[in-house]
Amino acid sequence: MRYPEVARRNRRMMLLLILGLILSLILMSLPLYTFDADVYTKKSANTFVGDEKYVAARAEAEQAAEDYRAQGFDVEVHENVLERVNSKGKTTSLVTFTVSQRYSKNFFSFIGKGLPSSTVLLCLLGLMCLSVLFAIFGLLGTEDVLHCYLSQKSRVLRNLAIAALILAIILVPVFILMNNVTFSRQLSLYNAGLITEGKEAFFARMDRFLFDGQMGESIGDVLSGLTINHSGLVWLLIPTLFISLIGAISIRKGEIESSLLRGALYLFVIIVCVVTLYPYYVMLITAFRSNAESLDMYFLHMFPTKWIWSNLTDIVNRGVPRFLLNSLFVAGGATALAMLCGIPAAYALARMTFKGKKIFLGYVIMSQMFSPVVLLIGISQLMTTFHLNNTLWGLMLINAAFNQAFAIWLLRGTFVSISSEMEQAAMIDGCGTVGALTKVLIPMAAPGIVTALIFVFINAWNEYTIATILISTAQNRPITVGITQFSSFNMIEWQYMFAASLLATIPVVILFMTIERHLTAGLTSGGVKG
Amino acid sequence: MSTGLNRTKWEPYLWLLPSTLLVTVFVIFPILIVFKLSFSEISQAGVVGGFIGFNNYKEALNLPSFKTVMLNTLWWVLSVVIISTILGFIIALVLNQKFHGRKIARSILVFPWATSLVIQASVWNYIIKYEYGSLNNVLLNLGIIKQAINWRSSYQVEFIWECWVGIFVTVPFVTFCVLSGLQSIDVSLYEAATMDGAGFWSKLRHITLPLVKPSLTVSTVLNIIYVFNSFPIVYTMTKGAPAHKTDTMITYLYMLSFYERKKGPATALSVIGFLILCICAGIYMMSVMRKEEQL
Amino acid sequence: MKKLFSLFLVLVLALCAVTSAFADDITLDVIICQYGPNTNNWFERGGTGMDGSNFVEKFEAANPGIKLNLEVVSWNDVHQVVDTRIANGNAPDILNLDTFSEFLPDNLLMPVKDYTTEELFADFFPAFMQDFLVDGEYWAVPDLASARALYYNVDILEEAGVEVPTTWAELEDASQAIIDFYNGEVYPWGIDMTTDEGQAAFAYYTWGNGGGFTDENGEWALNSDANVEAIEYAIGLVNAGYTNPNPATQTRYDLQDMFATGKLAMMIGPNQIPTYVKDKGGDINMATASLPANEGKTSASVGVKDVMMAFRDDSVEDQAARNEAISAFMTFFYDPENYVGWVSMEDFLPAVNSAVEALVEANPSFEAWLNVLATCKFYPTSKAEWAQVRQGVTTVEQNALTGADVRAELDALQAEITGN
Repeated sequence: MRYPEVARRNRRMMLLLILGLILSLILMSLPLYTFDADVYTKKSANTFVGDEKYVAARAEAEQAAEDYRAQGFDVEVHENVLERVNSKGKTTSLVTFTVSQRYSKNFFSFIGKGLPSSTVLLCLLGLMCLSVLFAIFGLLGTEDVLHCYLSQKSRVLRNLAIAALILAIILVPVFILMNNVTFSRQLSLYNAGLITEGKEAFFARMDRFLFDGQMGESIGDVLSGLTINHSGLVWLLIPTLFISLIGAISIRKGEIESSLLRGALYLFVIIVCVVTLYPYYVMLITAFRSNAESLDMYFLHMFPTKWIWSNLTDIVNRGVPRFLLNSLFVAGGATALAMLCGIPAAYALARMTFKGKKIFLGYVIMSQMFSPVVLLIGISQLMTTFHLNNTLWGLMLINAAFNQAFAIWLLRGTFVSISSEMEQAAMIDGCGTVGALTKVLIPMAAPGIVTALIFVFINAWNEYTIATILISTAQNRPITVGITQFSSFNMIEWQYMFAASLLATIPVVILFMTIERHLTAGLTSGGVKG
Repeated sequence: MSTGLNRTKWEPYLWLLPSTLLVTVFVIFPILIVFKLSFSEISQAGVVGGFIGFNNYKEALNLPSFKTVMLNTLWWVLSVVIISTILGFIIALVLNQKFHGRKIARSILVFPWATSLVIQASVWNYIIKYEYGSLNNVLLNLGIIKQAINWRSSYQVEFIWECWVGIFVTVPFVTFCVLSGLQSIDVSLYEAATMDGAGFWSKLRHITLPLVKPSLTVSTVLNIIYVFNSFPIVYTMTKGAPAHKTDTMITYLYMLSFYERKKGPATALSVIGFLILCICAGIYMMSVMRKEEQL
Repeated sequence: MKKLFSLFLVLVLALCAVTSAFADDITLDVIICQYGPNTNNWFERGGTGMDGSNFVEKFEAANPGIKLNLEVVSWNDVHQVVDTRIANGNAPDILNLDTFSEFLPDNLLMPVKDYTTEELFADFFPAFMQDFLVDGEYWAVPDLASARALYYNVDILEEAGVEVPTTWAELEDASQAIIDFYNGEVYPWGIDMTTDEGQAAFAYYTWGNGGGFTDENGEWALNSDANVEAIEYAIGLVNAGYTNPNPATQTRYDLQDMFATGKLAMMIGPNQIPTYVKDKGGDINMATASLPANEGKTSASVGVKDVMMAFRDDSVEDQAARNEAISAFMTFFYDPENYVGWVSMEDFLPAVNSAVEALVEANPSFEAWLNVLATCKFYPTSKAEWAQVRQGVTTVEQNALTGADVRAELDALQAEITGN
């Protein structure tokens, strides 16, 4: 690429960047939010058009409307009559008078009104300006220089411009969220009595924004009849900012394709993680709520208004640590046993020729085809014969047996995919079959073994059905069965249930993180190659 | 693939012995008992009586909800296994790239799998509540919807939600199966292919897929079995309501056994399910293994 | 590897030997259902719910020579646990459940007279005991009871300008008025037709229409005209939008939550509702009334009582000593000193006379409930087909919710149950 072309391209991209930002600013000055406020509502049940109650209510509503008009508001009075004949042939009716007002606001009218979203808006605008500044300064003097010849300073400035734009893109949904929370949801929180402190200040701010502070005392009533509508135009801000971002990236990088791919990769990973974590977020906020914080059942708050740490100590007192230990023992033992029996079997299947190989594989896989729910009677009989009822050992054996198919199939797959040359070499060097297995194959098959290990552990950890039948005393209960004590005939104690299950998830995740290294080690594939 | 070094005839069987013993005693024995029970008279309290031939099977096949439940089971298994295999495969491909935070992303993906299914189903139950569910709340707060949506407006929709939770908990399993397969692929293969000018798709088709296939086969076979036998999701979310219209086979036979107290037909049904699974998994395995041998 | 395995086998065998070594005292296997958050702590060994101790330890201290192997099982799993035990021939000695009739055809239960003293027997509410009389013998004893009533949110009804409905027609009017007033944001009426509670809904509406599970001779009469009309009425309420939107999957817990937060105006619930609402932090102004009935029919109170029963065990040599031990358990459990604590802890109603005085003293509102209890109708739990009927009526309701014809469904159920 020749320099004049670079200069032209950089200028073009600069234009794109600024165009995107100008589009955003135009969008922000359009009237994007409309508010329908019922400034006054009068409902009257069992009232008929023309009767005393009706006249009185109508007069009240008209009077209220006059008052508002006197203050300079443009309001309308609506009347709604609902008449019905009830089962006894009597007519009942409900008359509703509303005095309503509608008006719209653009983004800039939020600034300076002290609402939480106005701070976000200021940040957003600031970031947009910054990114232009960074881009311009980053471009100065290097307008005709390829990216690889850029000075350190210019490179940093261009990076900053991109970062500022990314932040700005993220702030748009935050802004929308804040507004919705401020107007409709915060208000229901207030109505529910959950915002007690700073009520005056809160109302004054709302009043200042909506009515330039004219509503005064009655703002609380007005807000309860407020509906907020934002047009879909609001979401257009993200694409317009995205245009700027593309401009900024191509000024920095020169080639846009790989950057976009990279961005898409991160975006995908983030989406997957967010979706995965979402139920855990729900668990977390439920786990630390008080049982009495019932109105938070509505999830009005993104997080508990008060974190109840005593929920944790409560479940500790109700035996959860003991249950966790039991589970750890059972799952750990079952995993070890399943591996001890599974690795030799998988090895034989992968490396030796003998009759009945397929029959064995079929036999093992067949053992998985009944749900434990169905097998309970048989298992229980077996355990009675072995005197293993109500013991953790029994549970361990069952879990190990139920996971054999899993372990063997996975391990066999891994062993088959590894060439047997190294083992043969080892055996020629004088190692026995056992030596070849333990010294050569197992280290090489580490990722597969780790996967199988995690699988078996998690399965045993989550086993529930058999444990309910087998374990009858509290001190032998694994965590899955222990959790059920929080849901009973009278009520379900969600906060304890979820706190306990969060605790139950942690050990598995820790285990996973400690051995994940082996999974990612990429195997000693070099060894195979060599 | 014998190494052919001084092996006696019985040695392989010795290696298989511990595993065979464990499986036979603790799994196959209870299975035989189920077979025996399916031909016996069982009272509503569970007392086992004498041999009654195929009566239980006849009764099971004549149950009014049998057809609905079989169709549900088919949908349940197909949708969960296929969608989670595809999703899991894509996620594994992405997680196999090198990027910042890869370890964290992988650890997060273990979560759904490490949580017991009962809890997982309860949480989703909680999330999609109409009156005060978290999903409605988040969407309302983001201004994406204007009014709360009844996420469980009909049993068909509820069934789709159950499938979604099934997929949600199955994806990690597939992902890690595929990941462990991907790990063992030699990087040099890709390098060579790139040198030859192969694009993304052709590398996927000619290198990744064939090498990941064994892992994918294992995960698919096991998934078919586990998803078919999965119990807590449907049981926690709907208990098959209304009137078995969201039941899958395994929850149906549980309801049959412990709620309607028809234990005989329930046991017969479980054997029927077993036979269906054997046939499906058997056909799948045979076709895959034949190909494997050809390689 | 092989060595390890054989080592393991040895270990298992050794363990078996150890566990089977001691067996001298009489050991009773007891299964108790989990009623509330305190049940485990009150009953199980190691718990502190019963005056700092627990039932098992107190019982064993008071009755040397008898060991309790007591297990608290959640309602969700209890049938599975019990049935598996029975199928294996090791049924529990004492079982706490909501029904007993399914165990009768197999002759699994012991007659009550074998394990209750005359004094204790006379202490049970006679009306309760009547339901446990099958073929001239009593087969179970009542454990505790609860009564159902209509709970309503006083403020909501007042604002909407309606009175508490006493008839079905009034209920529809009131519902419409509430819908109108709150633009549908408050559900007027709660219906629970879920798989666990469908039989309750059946009872509420059919008993309020002069129908019911059985006719006056005690024979199943599930498809009577009164029943068809009642279920059609209930389904009509749902279809008119007067109720919570998903009655087939919204459990009583969901209804309670909605009621506690003012989202639901009226619901039928057990006498524990006030406690529940308080626990959930609900600050609503509520009151109770009797269930609305159809025009010209009398309103029936609905009661639920759970049972304790003892299983036969022919393998025991000394039957007399075993009966003695079970009797000791019953006497200890129903001793007012222990029983009052248990019943009041989970807010249930008692089943024995001796507990009434202490309970009323502790909580005067109990008296009203005891009066309600005296007029309550109960499910026909003594009939052997009860388990199927209970599930059958739920299925009928759920089918009706998806548009099936109520009469055809009930006809089919009746035919299936009575076998013609």
